Amino acid sequence: MENAGSPSPILTARDAGLVGCTQCGKVHLPGVVECTRCGAALHRRAISDLQKVWAWLIAGLVVYIPANLYPMLSTASLGHTTENTILGGVIELMNHGSYGVAVIVFVASIVIPVAKFIAIGFLALTVTRRVKMSAHRRHILFEVVEFIGRWSMIDVFVVAILSSLVRLDFAATITPGIAAVSFALSVAFTMIAALSFDERLIWDASENEPRD
Amino acid sequence: MSQETENTPPNGPSDMVISPPKRSFWRNLSYVWLVPFAALVVTLFIAWQSWAERGQRIEILFENAAGITADETTLRYRDVEIGIVEDVTFAPDLASVVVGARIDRTVAASLPEDARFWIVQPEVSASGITGLSTVLSGAYIQAAFDPAPEAKATRFTGLEETPLILPGMRGTKVTLRTESGTQLIPGAPIFHQGIEVGKIETPRLMDGGEGVIVDAFINAPYDLRLTNATRFWQVSGFSVNIGPSGLNLSVGSIASLLRGGIAFDTVVSGSEPVRTGQIFDLYDDEDSARASVFREDIENPVDLTVEFDESVSGLTAGSSVVYKGVKIGTVSFLGAFIEERNDTQEVVLRSVISIDPQRLGLKADAPAAEVIAFFSNAVKNGLRARLATQSIFSRSLVVELVELPDAAPDTLGIFAETAPLLPSVASDLPDVGATAEGLLQRVNDLPVEELLDQTIATLAAVESLAGDENLRAAPDAFVALLDDARGLIGSPETQALPAELNTAVSELRAVAEQLRQADAVNRLVAALDAAEEAATSVTDVAANIDTATEALPALIEDLQALTQKANALEVEQFLAAASAFLEGADRLIDTPDMRALPASLTGALDEAREALAELREGGLIENTNATLASAREAASAVEDATANLPELSRRIEALVAEAERTLSEYGAQSSFNRETISSLREVRAAAEALSKLARAIERNPNSLLFGR
Repeated sequence: MENAGSPSPILTARDAGLVGCTQCGKVHLPGVVECTRCGAALHRRAISDLQKVWAWLIAGLVVYIPANLYPMLSTASLGHTTENTILGGVIELMNHGSYGVAVIVFVASIVIPVAKFIAIGFLALTVTRRVKMSAHRRHILFEVVEFIGRWSMIDVFVVAILSSLVRLDFAATITPGIAAVSFALSVAFTMIAALSFDERLIWDASENEPRD
Repeated sequence: MSQETENTPPNGPSDMVISPPKRSFWRNLSYVWLVPFAALVVTLFIAWQSWAERGQRIEILFENAAGITADETTLRYRDVEIGIVEDVTFAPDLASVVVGARIDRTVAASLPEDARFWIVQPEVSASGITGLSTVLSGAYIQAAFDPAPEAKATRFTGLEETPLILPGMRGTKVTLRTESGTQLIPGAPIFHQGIEVGKIETPRLMDGGEGVIVDAFINAPYDLRLTNATRFWQVSGFSVNIGPSGLNLSVGSIASLLRGGIAFDTVVSGSEPVRTGQIFDLYDDEDSARASVFREDIENPVDLTVEFDESVSGLTAGSSVVYKGVKIGTVSFLGAFIEERNDTQEVVLRSVISIDPQRLGLKADAPAAEVIAFFSNAVKNGLRARLATQSIFSRSLVVELVELPDAAPDTLGIFAETAPLLPSVASDLPDVGATAEGLLQRVNDLPVEELLDQTIATLAAVESLAGDENLRAAPDAFVALLDDARGLIGSPETQALPAELNTAVSELRAVAEQLRQADAVNRLVAALDAAEEAATSVTDVAANIDTATEALPALIEDLQALTQKANALEVEQFLAAASAFLEGADRLIDTPDMRALPASLTGALDEAREALAELREGGLIENTNATLASAREAASAVEDATANLPELSRRIEALVAEAERTLSEYGAQSSFNRETISSLREVRAAAEALSKLARAIERNPNSLLFGR
């Protein structure tokens, strides 16, 4: 990274015919299966790895559909049962004047997952296609996606805690809906998609192009 | 790649890898693609399932949709949720509300056209609180139907209120007919021998408006008890009945108190079972319901007409016709008619009575002519109809057929168009009102106030007497007198006196002799006979309460006079005199002469003893024997006399008992009575003492001679 600004092209491990460990960065001769330093599995980058990204991403997208259409929570209070989808819940919260909570739910449950889909899809696409965004920025984007992915589970945790705590029989009962499972799966799938993405591909694609 | 870079020198750039030819797309495909595929399959499955579970859409028309909310109100069948309301819209003409709902497909598959839907809401009525669960959960739509496979109706009309009889309930529905629906509350229970066996629906007017009909549903298996002879009557929860048998109060269950209700019973067995929709009459009470069975049982009734000149208030259609206390028919019609008589119009009260030939001892199928002939003959012999009260306590009347041999001769009038006319006579209904008035008048005339005044005056006099100084002094004087008397009795001389008195007993011999000669006992018995006669006559008098009541004022006048006299007595003077007398007595006892009296008595007795001693010394033993013999005679005479004594005491006792009974008829409360009774008790005690004396004498006649 310290050479990122130098005008002369650097020699990458791949160019040198070596395999770099993705965990600790040590380079090995080809044929070594495990990193001799940290023990992580060594693998070459392959365009077929992108298939995994796409597969998990699509799976995440598929289950994201019922997560939004079906009720996330079903609240039974004094005989009345109300079922709320994610977006319905956000609207209801706004109607009740809880704008702050509504924004949090909206961002955590809709903006972030959707942004992740877009970001992962974008990164996967830009491995093979040329874009204006520099490899460096795309790498930062990837890091952000990977970091923020786990926070999308906040919805699922809320539902899990509520439905296990609010079991007051007739007075109030909260049960998770289909959407809760779907949403959890969707978040999990997108995280796996992000994990499957080999960030080195970003740099492979940008080696042949001039730097900004 | 690795195998091509095997021998790469450490410093030089490695050889470029030459990739093998690209594999086919499918071979290149990773297994990881199964994940999105599985996710898609699962999602599609969920989507299909929720579509399949959506249920069949039905529409129910309601007059108003109170409490129904889209997506919230549920539909229930046998209290199990079968669907949910999807939307609530108006019919195109805005005349009703269309409730669209999704219901379970299995239920929808066998939903017949006549399925009933109604809205269940909390309801508080006389029969209790229903639908309480809907207070919190909100109203729901209840469905009731008899499942019919392959019936797939989707459009229904909802009921406005909870139906009492639901499709699928087993039982029999009958219709009750009554004149007024005042006591009929929808849902009121039907009882049979105290058990709730059914319910009534909402009463409705008959088409002609001449009455009210109400559908009643008797649950199986109790509907087996319904026959042609079943009678329904209203139960109001409690009933008070005053009759010859006394006051009769019966209270039903609390529920029937609140809601009323209907009871039925099958009075006569062996009738045909009913079919659904049969019409029954609803009677006001059990008695009339039961009586109706017998009323309608008259086979081959023979009608007679009776005209009454007096008020027939209390006589109704259905009243009994009684002959010598036996019911032989009923009044079947009662009405007023205007008739031309002697060129003037007269109102005639005419009633038609139906006679049961069977109850007259004729055959049930006897021709009417035979019955009429019987009556015609009877009328010639004095049979008349007249009104009579059913009992002392009721004002309802019956028609009584009586034989009055001394009635004015009449015949059974044979009318052309109506039934034969049975002549009637005026009834001897007592004028209770007038009698009561007279009684009150008499009570009013009693000089109660004067009597009270007299009593007050007497009490005042008694009070002033009690406060008198002399009266207070009297006891002291009396105590002093008693002290003196005790001193006198305590003296040895006085105590010696009884011994001397023994000798005087011999005198009794003469007395007893005289008693026997005078036949005194028989006379006394005769006197008692007379007294007993008198008592008997008193009893006779007392038996006539009216006479006694009339005599009461006179009695009270006597009492008054007596009280006045008592009042007028100079009690104070009397007391003063008594006091003076006592003082005199005191003084007398105090005199030395009086104190010397015992001593002188003793002296006299000593002298008598000396005389006797002299006699004895005179050797007159024969005389003594003769005396003893005559004493024995005297004793037997006494014995004879005393033989009558038990009889005497018994008579006295009888007299006393009679007198007591007589007096007790005047009432136990008057003080006059109490006084009399206590005095009579004293007489009886005296009689008992007499009887005891008689027994003692009987046992030991010698005690009369020699003392005890």
